[in-house]
Amino acid sequence: MSRFIIPKHLEVPLGACLPAPVKEQPGMITGNWRTERPVIDHEACTTCLNCFIYCPDACWHLDEKTEQMVWNADYCKGCMICVNECAPNCLSMVNELEFPDGVVRLEKPF
Amino acid sequence: MSQEVYEVTIWARGVFQDMEGRHATLLMANAADLGGKFVQAWDDYADLPDRVGVPLRKYVRLSDEEIEMRFVYVNNNPVLVMIMDDTIVKGLNILRGMPQGGSLVVNTKRTPDEILAFIPNKELLKNIVCVDASGIASDAAIDFMGSEGGVEVASVGAGISAPLVGAASKVCDQFTVENVVKVAANKDGVQKGFDTAQVKAL
Amino acid sequence: MAKEVFYSGCAAAAYGAKDARVEVISSYPIRPYTGIMMELSKLVANGELEAEFVHGEGEHAQVSIAYGAAAAGARAYTGSSGVGVTYAMECYSPAAGGRLPCQMAIADRALDPPGDFGSEHTDVMSARDQGWIMGWAESPQEVYDNTIMYYRIGEDHRVLLPQFCCQDGYFVSHIPGRMQMEDQKAVDDFLPPYNHPHTLDPNKPINHGPQIFPDQGSAINVQRAVAFDDVEAVIAEVVGDYNKAFGRDYSPFVDEYMMDDAEICFFLQGAHARTARYAVNHLRKQGIKAGVSRLRFMRPFPTQAVMESLSKVKAVGVVETNTSYGGAARGGAIIHEARHACYNLDNRPIITSFMAGLGGEIVTLNEFYAMAKVLSDAVKSGKANDSYWMNFEKEVLDTHS
Repeated sequence: MSRFIIPKHLEVPLGACLPAPVKEQPGMITGNWRTERPVIDHEACTTCLNCFIYCPDACWHLDEKTEQMVWNADYCKGCMICVNECAPNCLSMVNELEFPDGVVRLEKPF
Repeated sequence: MSQEVYEVTIWARGVFQDMEGRHATLLMANAADLGGKFVQAWDDYADLPDRVGVPLRKYVRLSDEEIEMRFVYVNNNPVLVMIMDDTIVKGLNILRGMPQGGSLVVNTKRTPDEILAFIPNKELLKNIVCVDASGIASDAAIDFMGSEGGVEVASVGAGISAPLVGAASKVCDQFTVENVVKVAANKDGVQKGFDTAQVKAL
Repeated sequence: MAKEVFYSGCAAAAYGAKDARVEVISSYPIRPYTGIMMELSKLVANGELEAEFVHGEGEHAQVSIAYGAAAAGARAYTGSSGVGVTYAMECYSPAAGGRLPCQMAIADRALDPPGDFGSEHTDVMSARDQGWIMGWAESPQEVYDNTIMYYRIGEDHRVLLPQFCCQDGYFVSHIPGRMQMEDQKAVDDFLPPYNHPHTLDPNKPINHGPQIFPDQGSAINVQRAVAFDDVEAVIAEVVGDYNKAFGRDYSPFVDEYMMDDAEICFFLQGAHARTARYAVNHLRKQGIKAGVSRLRFMRPFPTQAVMESLSKVKAVGVVETNTSYGGAARGGAIIHEARHACYNLDNRPIITSFMAGLGGEIVTLNEFYAMAKVLSDAVKSGKANDSYWMNFEKEVLDTHS
């Protein structure tokens, strides 16, 4: 009978080894790093996929059904590389507070 | 048995506002110290500020007696919360842990109502203060002293921290604007922040 | 001119090294020690400190560079935290056995796994058998003072040993506090230039670390044991001189608070002693006669001074911010030495230990009260366990509320 009583919230997996995230890591949401967000003009977009290729956080992807680029509000850090690399110049940066959506509002930074 | 400690949490963005965040704590602590308070001022240890744009925290603790629990990682119940970049309201529950009747000071060109629209738990607030600190003083020089416990070389309170702390002194009874002016490098900035701050009671 | 400043422990260590006129600094970043390295690199870059600043390719290289510099006749300074300290483990014995008095600043950090930069003493405690001087500071002021004192202790020709100048990561290293920095001339008067009996010199070549046969081994070890014969006397002398020169009030080995009429006490090293003192104030108001006995040197372990201090009470709670898995007390490392120090006393106090602050957890006032309860119960019943892991055992569960 172990002398130790481990409270539920202090239980730790064996060897501190965790399953690794595969697509998105909900424990490291970085959408709250940005002050501005990229806004796309879908009409002008040629789906050249530069934004998808250059985004360091994989925040742009092509929705096969709608054939439009989709932006990830949870992880975009507002680095503006996509705006820089956009071939038809259809991306522009707009202050985050202009949008009521895309709220990440974490309880704690980690 | 627990002590009366006035907690302040300052939210800023990594790299370009890290130093200003730190300066805000030093301005508040030094001003409160002139007024006879016992003070603590330091950076959050976990926030790793050397990442551009990451939300980070700085802390101040003030008391009329020697602070007994000196070694804390986080201010759990900030009475005063200051945000140096207004977009942070969307990113975090900045009023987390605030006891009823706290104050929020925001660096913004927007109105108090526009900012409050993004704060679902605004009923915790007694008042909100909006000041265009970036308009009054620039985000001053960048340094990488970050959270690594380095010594402040730049003069304290040259950038946006000056008008922000000046504005905060309108709603905070722990330090006076006169004392903030005494300890800040950008003395006009402090006064302008105090004068132009919009205070809205809730 | 002496001046009052608001510095973190990292800055205090860096400025202590500057005022001690270190000549060679070897660096390698690891949090929380990185602050010391950054501050020193700034001072060297802007010309305020004339020193060679060498960036090692790892902590093993760092310490090698430091004791190599000491062998060449330079006052050497290095530092690390956590797994960096254990990475350099191979270098500690050669530095101490070669009698090379370099100094290593330790801003301690929990060891992996996983990645935790919270404070824990285990990192450098695991090197306590290597023959270095080792002690913890509890405030930025003491970090600054120890940095200067340890050089004088280590470089004394009766000692000639390297030193670990330790401080709690984050609690001391990253939370600024008011402290006094002394006038350079006054520090120079206190700390003479480095002077070693046999430095590397092309005109007088020497061998370091020659190959020997096992039958000569014990003689080498005995020489190292003899080195520790005089250390305590030198420490007492140096601390006394420092107190006089700079108006401090350090007790060389054990810093006591309300011990004279205490019935129970907390025995610990490092930052949490500060919280313990406030806990004692509150406990006293409730009629519990508690005290704090803070250990200032882990090596040499001041056996006599510890015995004298702990003999004053009926029950001692060693507050261990370190782990010694599988050790005799199944807890930390300090209890074994504390119990040993009291072994020959006619009326030994009950000595138990509390595993607190592990991984950098805050040791709260409530935890100290829970410890005091266990100690008071032990005085009544006459017994206690060897160790209590705070918040994980029934006697000390849930003290955070």
